[in-house]
Amino acid sequence: MNEAYPAVETRGLWKTFGEGDTAVHAVHDVSLVIEPGEFVALCGPSGSGKTTLVNLIGGLTDPTRGEVRVDGRDVGAMSEPERAQLRLERIGFVFQAYNLLPVLTALENAEFPLMLRGVARDERRQAVRRLFHEIGLGGLEDRRPGALSGGQQQRVAVARAVLGAPALVLADEPTANLDTQASDALLGIMELLNQERNVTFIFCTHDPRVMRRARRIIRLVDGHVERDAQKQPGTLPDWVLAPVGAE
Amino acid sequence: MMERWLLIGRVALRNLRRQLRRSLLTASAMVLGVGLLMFVRSLEGGAHLVYVDTATRMGTGHIAMEHPDYMGSQDLADRIASPDLTRVLAAVEGSVPPGELVAVFPQLNVGGLAQSATSSIPVRITGVDPTLEAETSFLAGQVVEGRYLTADDRLEAIVGIGVAERLRLELGSRLVLMAAGAEGDLESQLVLVTGIFRSGIPEVDRGVVQLPLPTAREWLEIGDDATSVSVILMSDQRTGDIADAVRSHLAGEGVGPERLAVRPWWEAMPDLYAGLRADTVQTYIMLLVLLGIVALAVVNSILMAVLNRTREFGVLRALGLNRRAVGAMVLVEGVILTVASGLVGMLLGLAISMGVFRDGVDISFLFGGELAFAGSVIDPVIPPAVLASDVIAILTIVIAIGIVATLYPAWHATRIEPAEAMKTDE
Repeated sequence: MNEAYPAVETRGLWKTFGEGDTAVHAVHDVSLVIEPGEFVALCGPSGSGKTTLVNLIGGLTDPTRGEVRVDGRDVGAMSEPERAQLRLERIGFVFQAYNLLPVLTALENAEFPLMLRGVARDERRQAVRRLFHEIGLGGLEDRRPGALSGGQQQRVAVARAVLGAPALVLADEPTANLDTQASDALLGIMELLNQERNVTFIFCTHDPRVMRRARRIIRLVDGHVERDAQKQPGTLPDWVLAPVGAE
Repeated sequence: MMERWLLIGRVALRNLRRQLRRSLLTASAMVLGVGLLMFVRSLEGGAHLVYVDTATRMGTGHIAMEHPDYMGSQDLADRIASPDLTRVLAAVEGSVPPGELVAVFPQLNVGGLAQSATSSIPVRITGVDPTLEAETSFLAGQVVEGRYLTADDRLEAIVGIGVAERLRLELGSRLVLMAAGAEGDLESQLVLVTGIFRSGIPEVDRGVVQLPLPTAREWLEIGDDATSVSVILMSDQRTGDIADAVRSHLAGEGVGPERLAVRPWWEAMPDLYAGLRADTVQTYIMLLVLLGIVALAVVNSILMAVLNRTREFGVLRALGLNRRAVGAMVLVEGVILTVASGLVGMLLGLAISMGVFRDGVDISFLFGGELAFAGSVIDPVIPPAVLASDVIAILTIVIAIGIVATLYPAWHATRIEPAEAMKTDE
């Protein structure tokens, strides 16, 4: 991560689906600055624009208006191959549905981005095995995703997201399909990576356990930022889970 | 970079295995299509070899040499003089690789009249070397009454069965042949019918008379000259090269194209060559239509696979794979499926051609009577022949189908937007 720039910066960001009377503003004039090493939870009711915002930050979709910068680079101004390269080198993704490639083993899934980046086989395999050992996946390297539990699959997905030492990890509901134990284990791993490797994490989540561990919470309502506040890890302010308009 | 392609290949292979039933169904259409193409082409190739072999042994040879004007004039004035004939024979000896030459023989061909006690008809009169022709000539094996010519014959002749019928000739009948001699005067020669042949080609059976070359030379007063020289080779594979070698050998001896035309069979028998080409093109068109239908099955299968994996392609894009690489992944998958099944199809075609029908396919039930093609009679038992050119052509077609049939699904995969793809269910 280039410390001279924010990890993520958005200015007047809009994303509108449809036109005219049927237009829906999924993201509505969002301006944010997220510094390197932050552990941020994006919360809000369903349909509030969390996933769309994460997709905009990751360059997976184009903004209708406004600007997104990752590591100081304007994502909207990049060509498609440049965005692909940015995702490959600087951004890791963790999805709610794990989204591992079913035809690859756990090890091959985890090393996939490294392979695309041309990292030597021995080097990447060593890195995968070391991380697998750290996050409790030792011995499962040769299993296909279908032979892993949900928690194990999500840990493989996290390994895939962080192995290339990205500056930023975007995690969309990473604990939604996991039980309490698996969620805690996974969050522990991500916290560790955040603290030890200074990786910036942005979570889209409904899960209070994730919000409790975050050090900053951004609450979205109807596509715009309703509240954005730093907090102490382990705490959960009342406003985070309050119904819309209750404040 | 290489590792990225290996990864793409590995993912493609595993995806094919993952959808095993669909892959096998698509592959089986390709296997059958290509197997059929291979078999039909080998059968046709075999038939063509038979046509060419028969036609060349009818007298033209794999390589025919004559005065450049003789083909048009059919005039004895346009013949090969004795000294050039000696050079031609030396050039052939010096140009044909050892073991390739079956026979080289001079002939005297002239148009004339054949007259019996009852009638007269126009015929083609050919003076042949009985010893050489008996071993290699197609007509020597087609004698149905009497015998073929021998080295001891002087006034004997063989006639086509049509000639015999039209002139009411039997074995031992007398026949007068009349033709313009070297000086342009009408010359006649009495011969005795010693054999009657049936070639199966109406124009040959109804119009050809053969007699010994020495007799014909003496009768037409051309000394040791000839109108043509035919070269029979062991196979047709190197005909063009050998013709070129003979041509340059003769040019080195001062016998240029203005004095002697050296023609491979496809130039000497353009009708036969055009017929074979048309036959081949027709077969390829028919089979390409068939393979086009197979290609649609490949398009359908690969497109279904892409649509079913929309989310997966979205993930790949999110992980940093660019559009081109995603398209390449689909393309590789389609090409692997098509080429692998195409190769199996080729092996199947080979197994059918060279195993099951090794001794030939009897197609006589399709035809009544004699089977002739472009002036050449053929044996109805066709031995399949696999030609290298066909193997290369079919392999090229298979690869082309693999690429073309996968282009649309690959393009579709490149258009998948990752954010939209993530919303789809697999």
